[in-house]
Amino acid sequence: MQNVASLEMENGKEILRLMRTDHPKQALDFSLMSGAAIEVHDLVKTYQKRHHKPVKAVRGLSFTVRRGEIFGLLGPNGAGKTTTIKILTTLLAPTSGSARVFGQDVVADPLGVRKNICVVIQENAIELYLSVCNNLRTFGRFHGLTGRQIDGQIDRVSDLFGLREYLNEKGMDLSGGLKRRVQVAKTFMVEKPIVFLDEATTGMDAFNKRRTIDAIKEESRKGRTIVLTTHVLDEAEELCDSVAIMNHGRIIARGSVEDVKSMSLRLLYLTLSLAAVSDDLLRAIHIRNPIAVDIKDTTIEVTVREATEALDVLAAVRQTGLLRHFEITSASLEDVFLQLVDTKESAS
Amino acid sequence: MREVLAVVFREYLIRRTSPTWLFFDLAVPLLYLLMFGVAFDKALGHGLRIGDAVVPYNAFFLSGVLSMSSFGSAMNQSYGFFVDRDNGIFYEFLTYPMTRGQFLFGKILFQCLMAVVQCFLTIAAGTLILHIEIRWELLLFVSAGMTVGTAGWFFFLAIVAFRIRRNDTFNTVINVAYFVLMFLSSMFYPLDQVPSWLRAIAWVNPLTWQTDALRFLTIGLGSFSSFVLQVLGFGAFLALSFWFAVRTLQKAV
Repeated sequence: MQNVASLEMENGKEILRLMRTDHPKQALDFSLMSGAAIEVHDLVKTYQKRHHKPVKAVRGLSFTVRRGEIFGLLGPNGAGKTTTIKILTTLLAPTSGSARVFGQDVVADPLGVRKNICVVIQENAIELYLSVCNNLRTFGRFHGLTGRQIDGQIDRVSDLFGLREYLNEKGMDLSGGLKRRVQVAKTFMVEKPIVFLDEATTGMDAFNKRRTIDAIKEESRKGRTIVLTTHVLDEAEELCDSVAIMNHGRIIARGSVEDVKSMSLRLLYLTLSLAAVSDDLLRAIHIRNPIAVDIKDTTIEVTVREATEALDVLAAVRQTGLLRHFEITSASLEDVFLQLVDTKESAS
Repeated sequence: MREVLAVVFREYLIRRTSPTWLFFDLAVPLLYLLMFGVAFDKALGHGLRIGDAVVPYNAFFLSGVLSMSSFGSAMNQSYGFFVDRDNGIFYEFLTYPMTRGQFLFGKILFQCLMAVVQCFLTIAAGTLILHIEIRWELLLFVSAGMTVGTAGWFFFLAIVAFRIRRNDTFNTVINVAYFVLMFLSSMFYPLDQVPSWLRAIAWVNPLTWQTDALRFLTIGLGSFSSFVLQVLGFGAFLALSFWFAVRTLQKAV
C-alpha cells in the first residue's frame, strides 16, 4: 500500500487529496492530466411509460471520479447503478442534471464522450457468428485501429486474458464466462482513458474471474480511469481506489474503501472453535450483549462493536476451558454494505 | 468515413459466415423472375397492353423484381437489429465512437452493394435468358435507383425494428406490410386496369414510385415527367425515413 497525493480542483478550489493504493499508476498519460475524469451533478433519471407510474431510477446523484482511479459503483439490484452507467456512456439521456465525462457533456457532446470511453455493458455483447479473433478485429476497427495495430493488440489481450487458444472459436461456441472475458478483453484493445465495466465478471468461474481482475489491475496501472459496478464486494474491495454505495437512486456512502468501512460501526468478528458448546459458555457470551451470535456445531461466531468487547468475550470463554482456537477479523466491505443498505432502508 | 467502413467490414464478416442469407439476397428475386415471371408471361400470351404499347410481361415484371429485391434486402438488414439486440452487441455499438447516422449509413452501405450485385444478376438473367430489351445506357441510373430504394426501405423498416421489441411481432408486422405494399403497388400489374380504390392507394405507395422509376429506366415505360415526380417523392420518403430512424435509434435503449 502506498499513499499517493494529487492536487485537484473541486468547486473552484484546489484541494490536496491523499489516496491509498497498492497499484501506483505507471504510465501517466491519462492520470497526470488535470481535472476530474467524471463529474456528475444532481443527475436525475425518471422512466416514464404510458399507463405506468413514473419510476425514479436516479434521484439527484452527484459525484466526481478522479483521473486514473478505479471507482466502484456498488448497490443492490435496482439501486440505479446501471442507469447511471447508461447515462455516462450516452446510451440514455438524463431527465435533468448534468454529467461530464473527460470534460465532455453527455447530452451536448455524446460523440465527444464516446471517443474517450470503452464500455462493457451489462448484457453479454458478442458477435455469435464471428470468431473470437474477428470479434476483436471488428472492435479494433470501430475504434480506429489500423490492421497492424489490431494484430498487435489481439496478441497482447489474448495473452493478458488467456484467450489465445480460443481465437478461432466462434462466439456461439463459447461458455458464458468466456464470452464475458472476450467482452472485457475487447475494451482493453484500445487506449481509451476511461473504461466502464458494468458487472464485468458476472458469470465467470473463479479462475476466469481472477484472471480478469488481474488484467483490470494491470490495465489500471497505465493510468486509465476505470468505473465498475459489481455485486461482488470482495472484488470491489480488492480493485477500487474509491467506491460509492447507491440505494434507491441515491448515494448513501462515498469515499475510499477504508473511508466507507469506517463510516459504519467498527464491527469485529470473533470466531471461536470449541471442544463443546455448553449453556454456561453461551450465558457468558450473551451477558456481554454482542450484536450477533451464530452457532455452527462447535464453532461460534460472535459479532461485537469494539475490540474491548471482543477481548472481554474471549476472556470469558477462555475461563470455561473449552476454547481451542480463536480468530478476530474486522468487517468486510460486504458487511458494511449490508449494514448501510439496511440502515437506510429502515430510515426510509 | 472510417466509422462507416468499420460497419461495412463488420457486415461483410457476418454475411460471409451465413450462406443462407447470401442465397436469399442474391438468388430469390432472380428465381421470382425466372419462375413467376415466365409463367405469367406464358399465361398472358401477347403481353400487357399499357396505353398504346404492348409490353411482354417479363419486361414489365423486371422492375417489379428489382423493387422486390430492394425491399427484401432492406427487410433482412432491419431484421439484423433483432439478432444484434439478442446478442447484446446492439447496445455496445451505441457506445462506439460514431454517430447514430454513421451506424445506420454503414449498415445500409453494405446492403446497397449487395442490392447492386443483385440488380446486375437479375438484369443479366432477364436479357440472356428471357431476352428482355434493356436501356443499357441507363444501367448506372438503375444501380443508383436500387441503392436509393434499398436505403429508403431500410431506414423505414429500421424505425419499425427499433420500436418493436418482440421478434415475433416484428415478423408479423413486416410480413403483412410486405404483402400489402407489394400487392398495392405497380409491382405485378399495371395500375390503369385495376379498381380505382386500389389505384388511389397504390399511387401513394413508395414501392410504386420506385418500381415505376426503375421501369422507366430499364425498359422506357412511362413519361419523363412522372419519372421525375416519382424520384422526388421517393427522395422525400428516404430523407424522412432516415431522419425518423436516427431519432428512433437515439431512443432505442
